[in-house]
Amino acid sequence: MELLSTLGNGLVNGLISALMVVVNLLPDTLSDAFQYRFMQRALLTSVMVGAICGLLSCYVVLKRWSLLGDAISHAVLPGVAIAYLLGWPFFIGAFITGALTSIGIGAIERHTRIKSDAAMGLMFTGAFALGIVIISKIASSTHLMHILFGNVLGVRESALVLTLVASVIALLVVWLCFRPLLLYAFDPQQAQALGFNTSVIHYGLILLLTLTIVASLETVGIILVVAMLITPGATAHLLTDRFRSMMLISVAVGVSSAVIGLWLSAALDVASGGTIVLVATGWFFAALVFSPRHGVLARQWRRWRMS
Amino acid sequence: MSLSSGTSTAAVEIEGLYAAYQRQPVLENINLVFPAGQWTAIVGPNGAGKSTLFHVLTGSMKPLRGRVRAFGEPIADHRRAGHIAYMAQREAIEWDFPVSVWETVMGGRFGHMRQDAWWRRCIPARWYHPRHGDAVRDALEAVDMLAYANRPIGALSGGQKKRVLLARALAQQARILLLDEPLAGVDPPSEKLILDVLRGQRQAGRTVIMVTHDMPSARRYVDHVVLINRVIRGEGRPDDMLSDAKLAALAVSAMASSPSDDVAGSFSTATG
Repeated sequence: MELLSTLGNGLVNGLISALMVVVNLLPDTLSDAFQYRFMQRALLTSVMVGAICGLLSCYVVLKRWSLLGDAISHAVLPGVAIAYLLGWPFFIGAFITGALTSIGIGAIERHTRIKSDAAMGLMFTGAFALGIVIISKIASSTHLMHILFGNVLGVRESALVLTLVASVIALLVVWLCFRPLLLYAFDPQQAQALGFNTSVIHYGLILLLTLTIVASLETVGIILVVAMLITPGATAHLLTDRFRSMMLISVAVGVSSAVIGLWLSAALDVASGGTIVLVATGWFFAALVFSPRHGVLARQWRRWRMS
Repeated sequence: MSLSSGTSTAAVEIEGLYAAYQRQPVLENINLVFPAGQWTAIVGPNGAGKSTLFHVLTGSMKPLRGRVRAFGEPIADHRRAGHIAYMAQREAIEWDFPVSVWETVMGGRFGHMRQDAWWRRCIPARWYHPRHGDAVRDALEAVDMLAYANRPIGALSGGQKKRVLLARALAQQARILLLDEPLAGVDPPSEKLILDVLRGQRQAGRTVIMVTHDMPSARRYVDHVVLINRVIRGEGRPDDMLSDAKLAALAVSAMASSPSDDVAGSFSTATG
């Protein structure tokens, strides 16, 4: 355990130093904000959260899982509260309730006549309500605010290591299982006929989503993490017709939103989670208007040329 | 070419199969043999359980009872080995999914790629082994869609999409092809092309099993016909099975089993 945490801290320090090399290339007005240690930690977390959210975002958008992402992120709250009560690390509780809720949604959907959107709405509001009730009993409202909306500037070393581990796992899984995941996202019937175990892929992807949400908790918070799971993928979907480039663009949108948002929040002294999401939303609307093939301007241009 | 199914070996063997949707029986006591290396047409009215039968064969639906074997072994083993290609009637596909025609057809090779060394899965397929790329190219050539290889899949017409999905099944180079209404909604030239491609597959020794409502084509092309309407209503040579009297009886049996449905009427017009 001792060795692991030294290893983790060493890795974190190394990554921060590497990031700072890049940051120091920027003009002083931009890089000045990152002279503080807490800003450097925040920068590294933002980069990693932006990257894994961007990666998973492609599946969320293409599989129409936006509401599921929202559901899992809300269902994480009671886990955080219970872990706090028991003195466990928060991410263990968060992961457990997030995963339980997504399994519960699947079970209701499969075995009753309730449709999936109702099953999700019902399960996640229930879990969220439980979390609110527990937290109102045990913690101050500032605590609740930080869980709900994130506070990347106050990110702790332990959370940083967790985000790092989650990023590595997500990256490895997506890379090694690229083809089964792609086939499952594109055509689940075909994946089944080729003998792939689609329920393992399905729940594996949901667990990966839960992991990503838990890892992003301290950065953007429960409410806004779903934005990071939808907006980068949706932006990329407007810009390309290839899955691999969609992933690259989506990761780029995620990382750039996180970094620019972090800088803006420090410069303007406003909430970091909110600014990060607003920058991502800005990217989306820019793509919506200016995308060369699927953008509004391009469509108008084609219509005008046709007539 | 032998037309008697009794002498050839079985590609797929179904014993005592029962299947149901929400306690509504769809298939009852199905005992069937699909002869290897032959082209079988499954004929029956809408709601007769034809697609359900395919869902059982592809593993997306668990039967209540019964056993399905392929070449004498559990069919799941053959699925995992990539021996069974499937073309669905209604695709569960979002057509704006960002893949090209080439990548879509390459999807048919994903089953075989599992047998490749693990490290090869980490790099794009056409770089490490030409056989996957060759299979895709041959398949696209066979359905006359090679020129569209780099198009996004969503930019194709309905008939072209159907041909690409057929190409995906061909690229799999499977021993058994399951095709759920491959001729529905395609124009006459595409229909001719698809039928010729399937005849080529049969001549190459593959087992072709298709659901169809196209009686003239079935009479002309297939070796073996299975009439189905929740239970097996007959099987044998196309000349015997696709007689007007047999088809009328099949439509009437549909009427008897689901009186509220107007499928019988639409079915008998489709037999034209």
